[in-house]
Amino acid sequence: MKGRALYGLVAEFLEPERLLAAAHAARQAGYKCTDAYAPYPVEGLADALGMRFTGVPLTTLLFGIGGGTTGYAMQLYSAAVDYPLNVGGRPLNSWPAFVPIIFELTVLAAAFGAALSMFAFNGLPRPHHPIFETPFFRERNASRFYLCIEARDRKFREEKTRAFLEEQAPEHVWEVREE
Amino acid sequence: MSTPYRASVPTPGASPQWRSLDDLARLEGGGDEFPADASEWPDALSRRRFLQLMAGSLALAGTGACTRQPREEIVPYVRQPEALQPGQPLYFATAMELGGEAFGLLVRSDSGRPTKIEGNPAHPATLGRSSVHMQAALLTLYDPGRSQGLMKSGSPATWEDLLGTLTEQRARWQERAGAGLRLLTRRIASPTLREQIARLLTKYPQAQWHEHDAAFPAPPLPAGLRLERAEVIVSLDADFFGSGALHPRAAFDFAKRRRADHGRLYVVESTPSLTGAMADHRRALRPGELADFARGLARAVREPGAEADPWIPAIARDLTEHRGRSLVVAGEFQSPEVQASARELNEALGNVGQTIDNLPPAPGPRAAALPELARAMHSGEVEALLIFGANPAYDSPADLDFNAALEKVPFTLHHGIYFDETAGRCAWHVPESHFLESWSDARALDGTVSIVQPLIEPLYPSKSAHELFAALLGELPADGYEIVRSAWQQRPGGGGFESAWRKTLHDGIAPQTGTVSAPPAQGATTQIPPTEPAAFQASLELIIRPDPHLLDGRLAENAWLQELPKPFTKLTWGNAAHLSPRTAERLGLAHGDVAELRYRGRTVRAPLWILPGHADECVTIHLGHGRNCAGSVGSGCGFNAFALQTSEAPWGGRGLEIHKTRERHVFATTQEHQRMEGREPVRVETLGKPTTPPAEAAPAREETLYPNIDYGRPSWGMVIDLNTCIGCSACTIACQAENNIPVVGREQVLRGREMHWIRVDAYFAGSVEAPQLLHQPVPCMHCENAPCEAVCPVAATVHDHEGLNVMVYNRCIGTRYCSNNCPYKVRRFNFLSYNDTHAPQLALMRNPEVSVRMRGVMEKCTYCIQRISAARIEAEKEARPIRDGEVVPACAQACPAEAITFGDIHDPESRVAALRQSPRHYALLAELNTRPHTTYLARVRNPNPEIA
Amino acid sequence: MALTAQRCEQVTDRLSGLVLREPLRRGWLAGFALAFALLMLLNVAIPWLLIRGVGIWGVNIPVAWGFAIVNFVWWIGIGHAGTFISAILLLLHQQWRTSINRFTEAMTLFAVACAGLFPLLHLGRPWVFYWLLPYPDTMALWPQWRSPLVWDVFAVTTYLTVSLIFWFIGLVPDLATMRDRAERPWMRVVYGIGALGWRNSARHWKRYEMAYLLLAGLATPLVLSVHSVVSFDFAVAIVPGWHSTIFPPYFIAGAIFSGFAMVLTLVIPVRAVYGLRDLITERHLDHAAKVMLATGLLVALGYASEQWMTWYADEPYDAFMSHNRMFGPYWPVWWTVMACNIGAAQALWWRRVRTSPALLFAVALLIQIGMWTERYMIVITSLHRDFLPSSWGMFHATVWDWATFAGSLGLFFTLLFVFIRLLPMIAIAEMRKQTTEGRE
Repeated sequence: MKGRALYGLVAEFLEPERLLAAAHAARQAGYKCTDAYAPYPVEGLADALGMRFTGVPLTTLLFGIGGGTTGYAMQLYSAAVDYPLNVGGRPLNSWPAFVPIIFELTVLAAAFGAALSMFAFNGLPRPHHPIFETPFFRERNASRFYLCIEARDRKFREEKTRAFLEEQAPEHVWEVREE
Repeated sequence: MSTPYRASVPTPGASPQWRSLDDLARLEGGGDEFPADASEWPDALSRRRFLQLMAGSLALAGTGACTRQPREEIVPYVRQPEALQPGQPLYFATAMELGGEAFGLLVRSDSGRPTKIEGNPAHPATLGRSSVHMQAALLTLYDPGRSQGLMKSGSPATWEDLLGTLTEQRARWQERAGAGLRLLTRRIASPTLREQIARLLTKYPQAQWHEHDAAFPAPPLPAGLRLERAEVIVSLDADFFGSGALHPRAAFDFAKRRRADHGRLYVVESTPSLTGAMADHRRALRPGELADFARGLARAVREPGAEADPWIPAIARDLTEHRGRSLVVAGEFQSPEVQASARELNEALGNVGQTIDNLPPAPGPRAAALPELARAMHSGEVEALLIFGANPAYDSPADLDFNAALEKVPFTLHHGIYFDETAGRCAWHVPESHFLESWSDARALDGTVSIVQPLIEPLYPSKSAHELFAALLGELPADGYEIVRSAWQQRPGGGGFESAWRKTLHDGIAPQTGTVSAPPAQGATTQIPPTEPAAFQASLELIIRPDPHLLDGRLAENAWLQELPKPFTKLTWGNAAHLSPRTAERLGLAHGDVAELRYRGRTVRAPLWILPGHADECVTIHLGHGRNCAGSVGSGCGFNAFALQTSEAPWGGRGLEIHKTRERHVFATTQEHQRMEGREPVRVETLGKPTTPPAEAAPAREETLYPNIDYGRPSWGMVIDLNTCIGCSACTIACQAENNIPVVGREQVLRGREMHWIRVDAYFAGSVEAPQLLHQPVPCMHCENAPCEAVCPVAATVHDHEGLNVMVYNRCIGTRYCSNNCPYKVRRFNFLSYNDTHAPQLALMRNPEVSVRMRGVMEKCTYCIQRISAARIEAEKEARPIRDGEVVPACAQACPAEAITFGDIHDPESRVAALRQSPRHYALLAELNTRPHTTYLARVRNPNPEIA
Repeated sequence: MALTAQRCEQVTDRLSGLVLREPLRRGWLAGFALAFALLMLLNVAIPWLLIRGVGIWGVNIPVAWGFAIVNFVWWIGIGHAGTFISAILLLLHQQWRTSINRFTEAMTLFAVACAGLFPLLHLGRPWVFYWLLPYPDTMALWPQWRSPLVWDVFAVTTYLTVSLIFWFIGLVPDLATMRDRAERPWMRVVYGIGALGWRNSARHWKRYEMAYLLLAGLATPLVLSVHSVVSFDFAVAIVPGWHSTIFPPYFIAGAIFSGFAMVLTLVIPVRAVYGLRDLITERHLDHAAKVMLATGLLVALGYASEQWMTWYADEPYDAFMSHNRMFGPYWPVWWTVMACNIGAAQALWWRRVRTSPALLFAVALLIQIGMWTERYMIVITSLHRDFLPSSWGMFHATVWDWATFAGSLGLFFTLLFVFIRLLPMIAIAEMRKQTTEGRE
């Protein structure tokens, strides 16, 4: 254990309500570098930790617009500019016939936008993370609730923070060190 | 499939013709694009031979030296350029024989390979038009199934062996003055050959010459019909548009009259024929009734009076009103008495010399018929039998029992283009040279003589009839060229021979020959009693006819003809017994039943085809099928009608019984539905009556959301005149030859995958008893708003600047969406690898200007775009627009009736533009607003008001 | 000890156990063996097709499209249920979807995979299928954008991709769970790679839910568009029986109709075999059946309006077409369609039918047969008799047509059986949330 830098203190709860309360308290106490871990998305937990924007919707929108425009540009360029052909007497820019592909490309790009931005902003994929050093975390993270106050937080003082966490009546308070 | 008839696609490897269907298992994706290597050579020929053959196609690469043009000097029809330019085709005038008559041809030669046959405009029998048989002769030349070596009792032999044997034989004939020596030939059109025969008969006085031609019985049609002069024509079962030898000329003249003032055609016949389909009044009568009708008509013209049949006085009046401008023709298969009535009528009406000429018979000795030969053979009088071209072992009446007779002949020799049934039973077989490989000459019905000049050296060690005869006579010269040339030198002819010879070669006809009218033949008006045992009076009548395409079976190995849909039935790869719906109903027979036909003690199993417009109480069967030694293509499809033929009544008679069996037969037909369902794809109008406006008019050009694309000039279009189209299918097969269209075989036709780019639809309109028979050739319509183009995902079919709907084979990925969206269903798809890329002979045959399509791509009519670009190049060289009529697609060029007109529809001066102004002009499915460039002229009827 | 953790533990343990602890059941083995055998049939049919060409099928002129397109449309249709359930029902806050969405999404993917196979195989020259895609061609050629087939390419690939993303994102937290629960190290590695290092962080959960919601929002119009585009293959053509504006809605209804039928035919046996009756309850079956009834009625409306239109338009070709469907050579097809899709569906009015697995299973089967036959009717009986009587023909399926169809079923079920063995077929994380929150 010794010799490895301290990552943070982790409090383990059995109930989401406890965790939520603790998260609010931590925020009150002015802790910034905090994170919570729950087996399922707990309503309002992220907000309790002070998370405002996800950034996902904006990226999705931009990607969508990009996809659509590319779709039309590609068809217009290829059918009317690059290689114009008389196809069954139809006009070169028969835009109504181009709509389906414009739509499909919009959705495709937007979907990629949503998925990619979600992973990117979440910093995933990330093979390992110090939180996994928490004792029994593997076994329990699918059923129990954790609040983590990271050592890099400016207000982090090991004893004081431990005391603060103990006040939240957790099952345990664990000391987690980097690998 | 439960039919007694073997499938026409043979067992694997059986024939190069079909290899591609069988070898596919070995081929990877596009592998079938690559040519076969020498090891694929389908028969016993050596690699050296193969290389020699391939030399022809090598010439394409620009090496004009190694073509296979004959060593002798032959003269091109078109002025030859200084040096033969590779890729520049030459045209040579020659002629082909059919049924003892000459048909002048122009043959296109691409770097020494004959690749397309057309009629010779200068020749009276063709006038530049052609027929299915002329077109298909090309495939026979390159047919890998041809006899490829001299055989002695089944094993290969050499020409020298034969010469040896012949010297012995000559000695024997000499001492017995030719007693026991018999010749058997088909009808012969070559004066030189006739002279050779004459020499043989003078040399061996006791020898006898027999003639047997199962498809063209002597006497032929009362030649010299001048249909263009006849305003009223009565045909007594005379099918002068059908397989009859006069076909192209007859259709041409008839069309001329139709275009002028229509005229009127009455047809009385038992089986629906192409001629019957053109009739203004058609009557289906069984042969017995037909004879009465003919007699009645003759009587009515002689002394007009009451007749039981309302038609007779009406027609008689029509005829008498048109003395000298009418014509009565009796069918070549009709009894002597019907022939006699026709002759009597024409003489009574003063038509002889006006609308019909009695032409002089060909000079030279007369031949005896087959039955006498058979009798002599049975009685053992015959010691040596020399068979030229004929195939009596297959195509002789059953009662002669020719094969048994053949056993009794010590020395037999067969000379033919195939190793057929007869060849297999003769001691000697000599392969015959195709007419495109050998020198000869041929005489047309009117006496015009042409020289047959070869375009290519014999592909196999074969001999022409002349050469074989020279060997028989032990004469010199022995070489075909010298024989013909010297024969011509002996004929009287003013001026220098050389120039005359060259001119004749060039023009394709000898000057100052032809159109010699003979005095009227003595009409044997004595009534010949019908040769019918009274016992048969009650029973059905049997009608035996040559197959419209395979004739008497001599063309059974020709896959183009096998797959060419027959008139009305659109049946391919087989034949059927045709009978009328009413008779079938009476006998409780259904379409597709297999029945036993029992006729005068003989039996054959045949599938039944119920044919509207067929006369009641009689059954028609076609010869030429059910062969067992035709080759891998022709063997075993259909049933053999010769099994029912008797020598005393070869074209049928009473005494037929039908016994239904449990079996059913599936016909390989290309058109399953023949009613128009009120959609009137073929419009029929009545002469004089105002044209009825079409049910659904096409939207005006203005009624469109899209801006109209304005096509400049030229904008190609085609107009097909349904009033002159006789439905002969010459267009279909000409297109097949020009555009390298593959044959797919019976199985694939059954699946609905035939490949013809232009098809001839047949419809039955009106009542089932007396239907009107209609034809409609359907090529690609080249629509301006082509439905096929908009749905192609890869732009493999698009429009070009000349208004053509072009198909880009190497871009096509084969979604087949275009075909689904084509309302005319003129697109054809290579579902399998149909093109045989293995037989080198077929590689020589192909048109170098047209790409051979691979498996998985769509194809269709291109308006012969290769001919368009050829014309465009010529025009650009001379810096002028393409002239009207300069571009002629293969179909239009072949059409004997000139029913197909092609040209620039935006050129106000062009013939198409003029035809498009006609009140009869209409577009197929115009209401779909596809704006087709192929359009039609409605069919017109000119009914006799006296006949309801 | 506190309830939440306990319940979570139970759910997690049980559902992950289905994969991690489940022994090889005889039922699974038998099913897999059968499916795999059919897949092998496909492995014969496809090479033979590539060697000989599409001629081994029954297609011809005029019926140039046969089984391949019928199967394509049928599979795509089935593929609609999954996304419909996961996306549209999510937006409609239908809680009951949770216990079946994972399974149906997988079904969607596999169905679309099978569907995608056919347009490629039915090409005359399948090896150049990529000419359908826009890429810098050496001949400077492009796809022809006016062709519905190009739209298909884009619609189907988009649908496949988006469904895949949707499905995978749903899987990530569960894969994390599997990673943590697996005993064997190599399994941890494998699941771990899939989990992308997911650690149930609250901040992650927030973005995760946002992305999931957006994807649902995107997938909803997509689901509707895909079958509309497929229906354009027909509606855009001029063939009587195809050329109709009713097609898009009518196809979508049909798609969801057949999709739910497939869901039921799969879910009913599975819940029996794996004892999931408490998670996939009669209530779920009831709901699914109701959706089927509704869409079935829409389909019936489609048939009715088609008939009415042909009568009202008074178009000779269309009139003949609809008459030909009922009384022409292919009459049994039409009557089967009516019997299965309209007749059988009416049984779903009764709650007894909707809640009895056996009866529901039977109805679902009938409906699937009916829907396949409907596509057969649309493709083949429209083509075989179009404008010119001279070009009318018939279509007869060959053994290879059937082999390819059976083979595609093999592919579908093989994938499905593998999925059941290797991945949690019920969304664990979502079940956790639902069970704990359903507590109050």
